Amino acid sequence: MQSNPKNRRSSYSHLWFVLPGLAFFLAVMIFPILFAFGLSMTDWSGLGNDVSFIGLANYTEILGYWPYYRAALHNAAIFVAILVFQHTVGLYIAVLLNEKPRFMEFYRTVLFLPVILSLVATGFVWTLMLSPNIGLINPALRSVGLDFLALQWLSNPTSALGVVIAVTAWNSLGWAIIIYLAGLQNVSEELRQAAAMDGANTRQIFWRVTFPQLSPAFTALSVLTFIGTFRTFDVVYVLTGPLGAPNFSTDVLGTLIYRTAFGSSSFSSAEIRFAFGVAMALLTMLVMAVICRLILKVLRAREIET
Amino acid sequence: MKKRVFRSLVTAAGLAFCANQTLAETTLTMWHQHPEWKSAVEAILDKFEAAHPDIKIDLEEIAGTNYSARLNTALAAGEAPDLFGLPAGPETVAAAEAGYITDLTGKVDVANLRDAAREAIETNGQVWGVPILGAYSVGLYYHRDVFEENGLTPPSTQAEFLEMCTTLKDKGITPMVVPASDGIVPSFMYMMLTSSVMGADGFADLRAGKRKFTDPDMVDAARFLQEIGQNCLQPGALSTPYVEGKALAAMKRGAMMPGGSADYVGYKEINPNVDLGVVPFPAVGDNAPSTVTGLEYIFLVNSDAEDKDAAYTFLNWMLSEEAQQMVVDTITMTTHKDVTPSENRILDEFTSAAKVNDVRVFYELPETGNVWSVVQQNVAALFLGEMSPEDFAQAAQDAVKIAN
Repeated sequence: MQSNPKNRRSSYSHLWFVLPGLAFFLAVMIFPILFAFGLSMTDWSGLGNDVSFIGLANYTEILGYWPYYRAALHNAAIFVAILVFQHTVGLYIAVLLNEKPRFMEFYRTVLFLPVILSLVATGFVWTLMLSPNIGLINPALRSVGLDFLALQWLSNPTSALGVVIAVTAWNSLGWAIIIYLAGLQNVSEELRQAAAMDGANTRQIFWRVTFPQLSPAFTALSVLTFIGTFRTFDVVYVLTGPLGAPNFSTDVLGTLIYRTAFGSSSFSSAEIRFAFGVAMALLTMLVMAVICRLILKVLRAREIET
Repeated sequence: MKKRVFRSLVTAAGLAFCANQTLAETTLTMWHQHPEWKSAVEAILDKFEAAHPDIKIDLEEIAGTNYSARLNTALAAGEAPDLFGLPAGPETVAAAEAGYITDLTGKVDVANLRDAAREAIETNGQVWGVPILGAYSVGLYYHRDVFEENGLTPPSTQAEFLEMCTTLKDKGITPMVVPASDGIVPSFMYMMLTSSVMGADGFADLRAGKRKFTDPDMVDAARFLQEIGQNCLQPGALSTPYVEGKALAAMKRGAMMPGGSADYVGYKEINPNVDLGVVPFPAVGDNAPSTVTGLEYIFLVNSDAEDKDAAYTFLNWMLSEEAQQMVVDTITMTTHKDVTPSENRILDEFTSAAKVNDVRVFYELPETGNVWSVVQQNVAALFLGEMSPEDFAQAAQDAVKIAN
């Protein structure tokens, strides 16, 4: 049966309702990405009109550009550490809170507070606290006899990245707790009671009944952590500056891209290569999208139907 | 009757409109990168606005490294302010070549500038910007009271400096405060150390390719810098940001600190009782100690500025004796021929220090503009011992661009 033009018109009329959203999406998402891609195929420094088309030369240069791999490695280290922290400490605290202890609202608020605070502001506070000259942490450690732990936290290449990870962990713990808590509250009480009646102990109930049902929360948190840690910029910029001090030991993709596109000193812009920075940003976005897809595919396959 | 009232109203409205037009203000937007000068600069701008009620300056201070990012983005987007500052030399030339700024040749009176300043702002006979907020020299600040209490005199050679480091550390005093997290202050130290070796003539030779950072005596400058970085600085220097370093220095948490003539305003603001003196930075080996000198950001007129005449009026007033006297009395050194500080011991000391062995800052010159960035990015590796002085000097040399 053939539809007449009138029917066809009416069957597509719903698209008019999509149009405003589509136009907005095209304007603020697709067009800037295409524009950035065009820019990344030039040698534009970021200043002036001296632009030449160089094709994919920026992308091929990135493939052999050691600072990019070094920064990505630091991002990966932060991701792994935060992932482990959230799926252990975050989950443990969520389980404790799920038992509805006294003052639960208070604990939840306190633990979630760092999430709603600006990372720039908290970064400054941490910088001051960790300073070996005016900070609170080293005198506090000395006062309890832990002098050997009073380190130059952010000046030592071996501890600086650890500090960045610790501050990020402190800041993101609230997310892990809230996500796991939401998951725990959806776990069927009947299933747990049935397991208990079958003779399972508390540990067995958690690992065999509760934890498998938290797999959607596990998936969501893993993906969000991946995206968050590979986009990290503000905490590093505030704690260790645009060079990812000391000697680039905390340099991450965010600071590398920023430094390449905008420079790290107001005295000289000799190092600025805006188009190269854009190429790094786009390549990072592409790689992150692929890895996200893989994480989702692997973790979703392990989820059980609830 | 109604007609007469209507006519009177129209006439009154017309007169009010005309009066308003006569008093209409031109507002010029202006960016600069020294928030710590805010009150001093605003006092100067108030004077200008009192003398020119029809022109208002809307000043925005943007700190440190954010300045370049914001300005470059604004320039590319066509949203930069009417007046903005850039370092003289390659940065200004790049902005001119990009068509972002207006040619000021013949529009501003540079006749009263000192020769060195005029030479620094002229490129092929063209003037693109003017040093309305003066110039600066960088040397070594020391706390006079700390030195007096400990019976010390400021060091002028490498041996004296290193010996003093040991003495001060033995007494529990941090010898020197250096905010090194962004590499900027150590880069100034490297400029002063290499300048002590090569002097102004040697710097000209370096730019001509006749002298190299890798010459053995110049490598000694990198070695001395490494010794300072490893033995004489406050704990955590490599992660100390500029503002914290400045505060530590002002609060006497170290006996000495490298700094510029313009830094004194900030030290006084943090600690009004600070008692500082200035000498040239200690020399490598037995050479003459050195300072380096550059222009503060020179101010340029945006090529998109709507009222360029107002901008020229402002710049010419800022170059006048009246304005430059305020600059030198409240902020930093002037570039005006006939202006001297009324009562500013620190600037007098800087002037004396700069008489010994003064060299221009590297980043104002096209041949050595890139050296700045390379030194800034490698100095932490040098301090940590992850880069040898020879490799550090080689990296600096590789960044020199010799004109063919």
